[in-house]
Amino acid sequence: MTPPVESEPMTDLPPLLRSTRRHFFERCGIGLGSMALGSILGGNAPARDVGRSRSNDPLAPRPGHLEPRAKRVIYLFMAGGPSQLELFDHKPELQRLHNQPIPSSYLEGKRFAFMDTFAKEPPRLLGTRRAFARHGDSGAWVSECLPHTARVADDLTFVKSVWTEPVNHAPAKLYMNSGTTQFGRPSMGAWLTYGIGSEADDLPGFVVLQSGPRGPRGGSVLWGSGFLPTAYQGVPFRNGPEPILDLSRPEGVSPADQAATLDAIGDLNRRRLDSTGDPEIATRIASYEMAFRMQTSAPELIDLSGESKATLDLYGVEPGVPSFATNCLLARRLVERGTRFVQLYHTNWDHHGGPTENLEDSLDTVCRDVDRACAALVTDLKARGLLQDTLVIWGGEFGRTPMGEVREKIGRNHHPDAFTMWMAGGGVKPGLTLGETDEFGFSGIEDRVHVHDLQATILHLLGLDHTRLTYRFQGRDFRLTDVGGRVVEKLLA
Amino acid sequence: MTRPQPSRAPARLCTLLLASAGLLAPVGGRAEEPVSFSRQIRPILADSCFSCHGPDANARKANLRLDTVDGATADLGGFAAIVPGSPEESEVLLRIEEELAEHRMPPPDSGKSLSRNQIDLIRRWIEQGAPWEGHWAFSPPSRVEPPPVVDEEWCRNPIDRFILSPLERDGIAPSPVADRVTLIRRASLDVIGLPPTPEEVDAFLADDSPDAYEALIDRLLASPHFGERWGRLWLDMARYADSNGYSIDAPREIWLYRDWVIDALNRDLPFDEFTLDQLAGDLRPGATTEQLVATGFHRNTPINQEGGIDREQFRIESVIDRLNTTGTVWLGLTVGCAQCHDHKYDPISQVDYYRLFAFLNSVDEPTIPVASPEDIARREEIERQVADYLSEIERDPKLLAIQKSWEENLDAPARQRQSQEVREAFDATPFDKRTPEANRVVFAAFIDQSDAPEVTPHREALQKIKADLPSIPTTMVVREQASPRETRFLMGGDFTRPGEVVEPGVPSVLPPLRSRSAGRPDRLDLARWLVDPANPLTARVTVNRIWQAYFGRGIVETGEDFGTQGTPPSHPELLDWLATEFVARGWSQKAIHRLILTSNAYRQASAHRPELSEIDPGNRRLARQSRLRIEAELIRDSALVASGLLHPKIGGPSVFPPQPDGVMSLGQVDRGWTADQGPDRYRRGMYTFFWRATPHPLLVGFDAPDGTFACTRRARSNTPLQALMLLNDEAFFEFASALADRVLATGPTDDAGRIDLAFRLCLARHPDEAESARLAELLEGQRAHALGNSGAGADPEAAERSAWTAVARVLLNLDEFITRE
Repeated sequence: MTPPVESEPMTDLPPLLRSTRRHFFERCGIGLGSMALGSILGGNAPARDVGRSRSNDPLAPRPGHLEPRAKRVIYLFMAGGPSQLELFDHKPELQRLHNQPIPSSYLEGKRFAFMDTFAKEPPRLLGTRRAFARHGDSGAWVSECLPHTARVADDLTFVKSVWTEPVNHAPAKLYMNSGTTQFGRPSMGAWLTYGIGSEADDLPGFVVLQSGPRGPRGGSVLWGSGFLPTAYQGVPFRNGPEPILDLSRPEGVSPADQAATLDAIGDLNRRRLDSTGDPEIATRIASYEMAFRMQTSAPELIDLSGESKATLDLYGVEPGVPSFATNCLLARRLVERGTRFVQLYHTNWDHHGGPTENLEDSLDTVCRDVDRACAALVTDLKARGLLQDTLVIWGGEFGRTPMGEVREKIGRNHHPDAFTMWMAGGGVKPGLTLGETDEFGFSGIEDRVHVHDLQATILHLLGLDHTRLTYRFQGRDFRLTDVGGRVVEKLLA
Repeated sequence: MTRPQPSRAPARLCTLLLASAGLLAPVGGRAEEPVSFSRQIRPILADSCFSCHGPDANARKANLRLDTVDGATADLGGFAAIVPGSPEESEVLLRIEEELAEHRMPPPDSGKSLSRNQIDLIRRWIEQGAPWEGHWAFSPPSRVEPPPVVDEEWCRNPIDRFILSPLERDGIAPSPVADRVTLIRRASLDVIGLPPTPEEVDAFLADDSPDAYEALIDRLLASPHFGERWGRLWLDMARYADSNGYSIDAPREIWLYRDWVIDALNRDLPFDEFTLDQLAGDLRPGATTEQLVATGFHRNTPINQEGGIDREQFRIESVIDRLNTTGTVWLGLTVGCAQCHDHKYDPISQVDYYRLFAFLNSVDEPTIPVASPEDIARREEIERQVADYLSEIERDPKLLAIQKSWEENLDAPARQRQSQEVREAFDATPFDKRTPEANRVVFAAFIDQSDAPEVTPHREALQKIKADLPSIPTTMVVREQASPRETRFLMGGDFTRPGEVVEPGVPSVLPPLRSRSAGRPDRLDLARWLVDPANPLTARVTVNRIWQAYFGRGIVETGEDFGTQGTPPSHPELLDWLATEFVARGWSQKAIHRLILTSNAYRQASAHRPELSEIDPGNRRLARQSRLRIEAELIRDSALVASGLLHPKIGGPSVFPPQPDGVMSLGQVDRGWTADQGPDRYRRGMYTFFWRATPHPLLVGFDAPDGTFACTRRARSNTPLQALMLLNDEAFFEFASALADRVLATGPTDDAGRIDLAFRLCLARHPDEAESARLAELLEGQRAHALGNSGAGADPEAAERSAWTAVARVLLNLDEFITRE
């Protein structure tokens, strides 16, 4: 971002945009003195004609620092921490040494969740029971748990050496989303929409969809805007006929009533704008207009009646039944309509080995929940020509240990040192498998990718330089990648 | 080394502020005017140089330090970074003017660069002898006489002189006083967080005594709602919430702390006492229950109850949160920056950080019952009887067999809903291996929840025992441990890498701490140090925050950062005057409120002035008031007042007003939300039960903080989701219907009169003709529509109600309704 004390000249901006942008940042409550006023990114953003005037809209699209490889993101967040060792990271040595104690050299200085369970007896290696095979021309390893994903392996880019720092769910989810375990920082989707806005002017720019037996651990801070204005926070969609909170008219209010009410609100607000001259009222008027558009666009968004049976079957959508599959289809419909960042949470991958959270039947269930729809999403985006500039990301907040846990059923502990994620589309190299782990899959031994590296790469693909996308708060320029992160060049197509 | 101190140059201040914000073109031809180091030069150095040449020894490059005079002028081997009086010999100037990018400072990869204007300022400052000053905020406030002004009449108290004087110098006239309706609505919203009723407005308009406005302010400051309004702002910083946060987000009981804050503000507990009680009430001699309750301030930290955590890690995180919060709230310093390394910009070393940490590192975290001794004894007796009863039956094999199957049949959500103790017992030992003692807590839950017929008589027997169990609220407090816990320096801020032992102490840049005894200083000593009049920060930071609420922006805009990276004060002498006044008036917060409220600066109209939009776009000079969108809770409160539904009860357990379905399922544990049906449905917004993982959408949508960290100033966003809430939310529709009913029941019989009443209930003022006509047009259209829709069997009464509800919805959605003018 620009040096915070000096602002860029603003001569290229049309006066209206100039005054309202400036106005917006003055009113956002934080960091006026330090805010560059010309453009969030320090360039001189030309106003773009997007049909309707969005000059009062903090989410108006604007160019980033670089030529983008992707225009939008669909992030499939596998909440709880999927086991890479059951799904992608094939380790014959682990199977050979099944039930042997892990050499103590692996554990020295390491921290795990549930440390006390290791104290009871030395942890033993757990070989997977799942069969692995190579798939596609790329020969990527995918286990029998994810047959549909395996079919599209050549469209995917696997990273087997992702590593993170926290070992507990809520902090690790926060870390993956905001680059830190501290509260109060913006999430990735907030940073992105702050940086480049959103093409959608009748739907939110950052949408969160959820499925699975429970909500993700951590709740709203995972898609919060932290110290950024709340205009950038994720909007959780709800299942059922009203995807956005308070979207529907109150009972007994007809569309005509609503329109008449909105007209009167607009007229009276405009009068007030004239008498006070406060451009904040112009923003309010624009907000009501967009709210009005959402009342049409959001129901239209979730109305799947226009989708062919073939498409519904591809995803495994049963109309009217909330599911991960429905959310994947909604994600496609959202990005088609210009939403910048769609994040899907699916629970529950926390397979410690309890009666309902294990690597036996519970893993089968959750794989069945997501597998077909993930593959369908990639296939469908590709068929519609959207995959090339849509980045799809799949992964959890951490992986799972090569050692088993002693519980009722087979399970593994949280593991931050190495886990697998995959990406597809927008600017990443299809068919690539990056990174390698040691014989047990404990640590990455080649091309390790820290969460901050992943975040830097995602921003890069969207045309943003992670070291320049900053926001001054409490005397410091903050960024998504904190003080780390490097773009993983090898991943780029 | 002593250097001549330049005289301050207040006349230039505002221009300079604008220049530093990049809003003015470079200014030339002022070479002879003294450059202020602390206002003009240090901010440039701090922003562009200190990260490599500042306080952090480990990050320092080229062994050059520019944050101290000794470092800046040190002999670097035949040359020096700064040679006072001689720009040409100063390496700093050579390097910032260097043409070759690879030699230029700041280096291109830092992303920083200096403007011509900044370079010229540095040159002139060196020419003038490079006079050095400490950072302004670390020197004690100096009391300056209020400056002379031409328009004496305009000045109602000293504040006005500080505001008017620089305006007069630049030929800017202040705005006229706002009309009286605006004044009463503004003051009511600002002081008690509730809009005035039409009767209150009429009484104020009818009062033609010369001190009618002062009487209004005194009435508002004496209102018990003052503590609610200002208490909520304090709770933002206390990160108050009703649940633990993180993933499990279990409910907690700490509303007694919230009520303590309200009460303390209402009785104007002096701010030094207010501080001592909250930070160290447990250590005060003869601590009262109220003082213990006050220590809840630092129990508002989130608690991670996720399985498998390292408790020491999260204990340390709590201490870090408490320290950073204390730094932000009292000192206005970002001490948290020194957790992992020396502060990059301010003179706070990492050792300083852990010395402060040591004050807060030795606390236990009990939950105490707050009730009469009799009630507590009665409760203990009943608990003993329950325990006795359970111990009689807990070995019964028949019951245990039923318990086993009850436990096995609990699904995941049902397990999650159990209390923390029960879940821990589940996790600790499988059923078959539990001793009766280990099983007691689960067994009690089983008896309480199982619907097996064998269990029912026992449950009923227990219920009978518990029948007259007194209801005793509890609250979370802090208690010092008998012997202090050893504090170690944490390398890189990492709790797994402890270093040297450190003793409690304060940063050397601030005045020394005076311990009450010869021994190790404790938390109470720290609290006393914070409110020692010698402390240069606490009083300034506190009055600045009060100012911020009344004008939308502090004198120091970055109220949470008074360090070298913060924004310089717009009116430094005023800030110091208010800070010294605050201490001189015995730390009375209400005295400061009254001073500000009765100033003419505060009473100005808020209308935008096009002629000022270029020279003062942020209204830093206060030639007018600001229009401010009111806070989330106040939006609800205003609608409750307008509709007549408000239940004005103060304090008590948090409540559950309606919220849309599905909100609670966004967290890991679906906690459920059953809307209150009685008077609690209509309580003020600040009493809404705050789940950290799934906060009430109205609060989140209108920028209420999420209760996870100290928030010293809220954002004021303006989004379509807010529009949807006000338009369509069940609660707001209910308010609109009630407002319609109220107007129909109590208003005049004619439409115009009713419109006038509805308007005044919402906005305090009368509508003008055009506004009235526009609402009448809507009303007639809606009435016709409603009658037409119902056909022959039209119910005129229902049609009337629905038409008026439309009018009410419009009023509750106006920008003006949610704005303090």
